[in-house]
Amino acid sequence: MANRLLLVKADGSVSVHSDDRAYKPLNWMTPPCWLIEEPGMWVVQNKAGEKIAITIEEIHHDSRHELGAEPGLIKDGVEAHLQELLAEHITTLGDGYTLVRREYPTAIGPVDILCRDAAGSSVAVEIKRRGDIDGVEQLTRYLELLNRDPLLSPVTGVFAAQLIRPQAKVLAEDRGIRCVTLDYDTLRGIESDEFRLF
Amino acid sequence: MKIRVERDGLADAVAWVARSLPSRPPVPVLGGVLLDAGATDGSEGLTVSGFDYEVSATVGVPATVADGGRTLVSGRLLADITKSLPAQPVEISVDGSRVAIACGSAKFSLPTMPVEDYPQLPAMPQHAGELAGEVFGQAVSQVAVAAGKDDTLPMLTGVRVEMTGEKLTLVATDRFRLAMREFEWKPSGDVEDAAVLVPARTLADAAKALGSAGRSVELALSPTDGLLGLSGSGRRTTSRLLDAEFPRYRQLLPSEQTSSAIIGVAPLVEAIKRVSLVADRGTQVRLEFADGVLRLSAGGDDEGSAEEELPVEFTGEPVMIAFNPGYLQDGLAALHADRAELSFTTPNRPALIKPVNADGEVTPGYLYLLMPVRLPG
Repeated sequence: MANRLLLVKADGSVSVHSDDRAYKPLNWMTPPCWLIEEPGMWVVQNKAGEKIAITIEEIHHDSRHELGAEPGLIKDGVEAHLQELLAEHITTLGDGYTLVRREYPTAIGPVDILCRDAAGSSVAVEIKRRGDIDGVEQLTRYLELLNRDPLLSPVTGVFAAQLIRPQAKVLAEDRGIRCVTLDYDTLRGIESDEFRLF
Repeated sequence: MKIRVERDGLADAVAWVARSLPSRPPVPVLGGVLLDAGATDGSEGLTVSGFDYEVSATVGVPATVADGGRTLVSGRLLADITKSLPAQPVEISVDGSRVAIACGSAKFSLPTMPVEDYPQLPAMPQHAGELAGEVFGQAVSQVAVAAGKDDTLPMLTGVRVEMTGEKLTLVATDRFRLAMREFEWKPSGDVEDAAVLVPARTLADAAKALGSAGRSVELALSPTDGLLGLSGSGRRTTSRLLDAEFPRYRQLLPSEQTSSAIIGVAPLVEAIKRVSLVADRGTQVRLEFADGVLRLSAGGDDEGSAEEELPVEFTGEPVMIAFNPGYLQDGLAALHADRAELSFTTPNRPALIKPVNADGEVTPGYLYLLMPVRLPG
């Protein structure tokens, strides 16, 4: 039998982890579900009658910790930060750019940033930490919708990310969407302490 | 279309054109090479060309044309096929929507793509002047090494080409180093003095292909259309210019120096390679110049360390300065000289590297400006 980590959380969820695939369990059940302990075996069951049977041969370690009420985690360098920073420094996209607003609402969800270029035409910006094809598709949907609005049209797109995958770049450029690579440190105003010629 | 062509000429032509094709063409036809027999431009033989809206490449190949025509086939596949064909004449014929390639007893049949969907290749811009192939090839390779590879800042990925009367200046920089080459050329007088920015990778590729010894390279330019053309040895290529402002670089060149060293390039490069083995991810190699001796060192107390001494002709104040070993080697290799002059002001100001001839004199026309890295502590 293999060594496994069994995680039973206060929310009732049960998950089975191994040493690989980071946060992703091998198998799991989300609450509401019930854990029935039998000798050498756990059975996790939910309302639909689905079951996970876990056979336990040997217990290496068994401990219980209360994590208490969740105060909320504040992450640094996430998409929201990039959005905030880019909105503050909208001219990163080009001279004369002005911000319309962040989280510009559309019928299918908010666009990260709507701004205007130097000539005054609308530009929708999708921000990602890692720029994949999915992000380009998302921006394409927003652009299609925004372009139906006679007050905004024509709307062009900018796909901004800290790293843009080559496939995403090809797709974006083929659809007339400009790709911009964002440098988090530069946006935050942290100058590199490397010596440079200029 | 039905033609007969020599294998070597065909393979070279297709390989060169296919090299500039995009690896992930957004439109499949852009991944094709256009074969044009009994060409429309009036020349006999076969014309092989490719275009991806940025770069175009065209090359003529002598061929016996039984039946003229045009066809479009996958560039990568055709390049792989022609490269591996036996050394015998190649027959290419188009039948319906397929093209047949026969060489010796080997036969290939490839699907073709619609020629009508292929974009019109840009015409060659106005002839601006010409220069010797080997001079151009060497100059571009000496300068393009300093261009940036990261396209976050487009201006740094280009080589600036300045045409000022009989003088041609090439410059590139990635903010850590700057390479500049100046030389004479023969302007045609039809194009006014201009300064343009050409994508470094495209220019380096073109210069390598056209810059063979004994041939001349023709430069054509249309700053208004944003197009540069290069031709020679039966090959023509055009590239779109970068629309970006190049930094004002002349003010970066140091006007004074406090010390300078003359040293053999090959022993220095060897020594840098050796000591930088202990420099974690090529961080830095330290150079300590004193009277007659250069001491190179890398690494530190916590990790491995290495040092080596070399004889040097040194004048001025002793100096201790550190560089990125990769950038330093790039600069030394780009000199194309047996000896180099390194001149310094302070350990946090840029150093200047220039080629030195057999008489111990600095050869004018080339310089490599290199920013040092911060010394520990």
